[in-house]
Amino acid sequence: MFARAVWLILRKDLTVEVRSGEIAYTTLFFAVSCILMFAFALVRDGRAPEDGAAGLLWIAIAFAGTLALGRTFERERQSETLRALLMAPTARPAVYVGKLLGIVALLIAVEIVLVPLVAILFEARALLERPLWLAGILFAGTTGFAAVGTLFAAMLIRARSRDVLLPVLLYPVIVPVMIAGVRGTAALLQPDVDTAVLGFWLALLTTFDVVFVTLALWTFEAVMTD
Amino acid sequence: MPKWFMPACIVCAVMFAATPIVIANAPFESTMGLVFKIFFYHMPSAWMFLLSGVLCGIASVRYLASGDARHDRTAWAAAELAVVFGLLTLVTGPLWARKAWGTWWVWDVRVTSSLVSWMVAVAYLILRRYGGPGSDKLAAGLALFGAANVPFIYISVNYWRTIHPATSVVPTLPVDMGLPLWFCVVAFLLLFILLLKLRVRLEEQRSRLDTIYLSANH
Amino acid sequence: MKNITRAVVIVLLAVACVHVPVAIAAAQPPKQAETYVPIDQLPPQDQLPAAPLLVGAYVFVPVVLFLYVLSVARRMTAVQREMERLEADIKRSGRT
Repeated sequence: MFARAVWLILRKDLTVEVRSGEIAYTTLFFAVSCILMFAFALVRDGRAPEDGAAGLLWIAIAFAGTLALGRTFERERQSETLRALLMAPTARPAVYVGKLLGIVALLIAVEIVLVPLVAILFEARALLERPLWLAGILFAGTTGFAAVGTLFAAMLIRARSRDVLLPVLLYPVIVPVMIAGVRGTAALLQPDVDTAVLGFWLALLTTFDVVFVTLALWTFEAVMTD
Repeated sequence: MPKWFMPACIVCAVMFAATPIVIANAPFESTMGLVFKIFFYHMPSAWMFLLSGVLCGIASVRYLASGDARHDRTAWAAAELAVVFGLLTLVTGPLWARKAWGTWWVWDVRVTSSLVSWMVAVAYLILRRYGGPGSDKLAAGLALFGAANVPFIYISVNYWRTIHPATSVVPTLPVDMGLPLWFCVVAFLLLFILLLKLRVRLEEQRSRLDTIYLSANH
Repeated sequence: MKNITRAVVIVLLAVACVHVPVAIAAAQPPKQAETYVPIDQLPPQDQLPAAPLLVGAYVFVPVVLFLYVLSVARRMTAVQREMERLEADIKRSGRT
């Protein structure tokens, strides 16, 4: 029952996205523009800053993710579909999980484009040498970002100043995700990759995901009632 | 205001007036000399910052669970005090660090964690001020997430450089330095309680105002 | 729903609980920097006068606290004034 509701919501979002492509294309273009801005700002004499790739990748993900979150829920607000979703006879947290999976899918698609771009522009070819580790860290980090972001974006749907409030509320809370994501990705760029360090950051991200998805599931009920 | 409020204010004022004397009479710390005296204001501020954060988190959880507006008022007051005491901690710290460690800012565990927690408290206030109706529940959610985040912030920042003195500075202080410190802690704690009471009272008055508004316009 | 969520959470938490201590044990934190260097061993250009910093701290703290109390007091008077105005309005328009 719950899984079916999640799937329906996810499928709805994916269908709308595949038809219009609005959020996917704009988010992707914005992320690429971000990376280019970083390149113009930081590349000197044709040389990229040392160890810049990891941090810049994650900053671009954070910025693009914030935009995507805002747009996803703005669309719900404009069509008044959120009220319909909440009134539907499904468990409310199913709405949250459905939205979460949609955002994660979108961000993963953006990252598939961003990672090679960053690897090329910032001389970080080593990123692509261990795709499984990279995928693990990207997935865990993106889920952590989206777990908190989806909840906050849903909470803010009726608030004033919601566009600026989302990053204001979100960024301090996802600091551990940023740190772990960047440090984990940077560990992949070291000349001799230390899998223990990678394992640590991945475990931290996974724990963060579990704890905050659970908290969000509980809080979603309490906060969306009014 | 309750009967104990004014007398407590006077006691608090006297204690704070006495702090410079008490601190000046504490012996010099051997490696840092004069600048160590900042410590007597920095530590109590940090503890009050921590106390405010914990109080805000607990009150927010209780508010989300029960919906009782009293918890919401406490949470808001605690968040404001967290911003105030956090500001004191984050400014007196670097003033001490400049002399003691030779640098204004270090990215060590506790300093960075404090900064991030302080940012969450500021975000809470921004949300309450600009979020419009319904921001009470939203802010409670934010406070809950901020509080749950503390171990993660700590662990993730911990794998960077660490210069902060070990936590055991307090117990190993000789009694001469211990007494002035505890005196300042008591003064700050009393101040915290008074400010909390004052701020909660403001919220109570505001909600009473809202009730009058509603009854006047029906 | 709740049972599935709980089961998933427990499984994932168990996995994470095993991983985190193992990974922490494996990845040692960098060596702790030494505790403070005594003042007389610092190079001369680093020996700052402490007084301005100390005075700065002891001025900053009361000023901030005072400004905060002022802010609360100002908001309190605004609310009081508004309440009195409302009560006067109610009285004037007759008890409804």
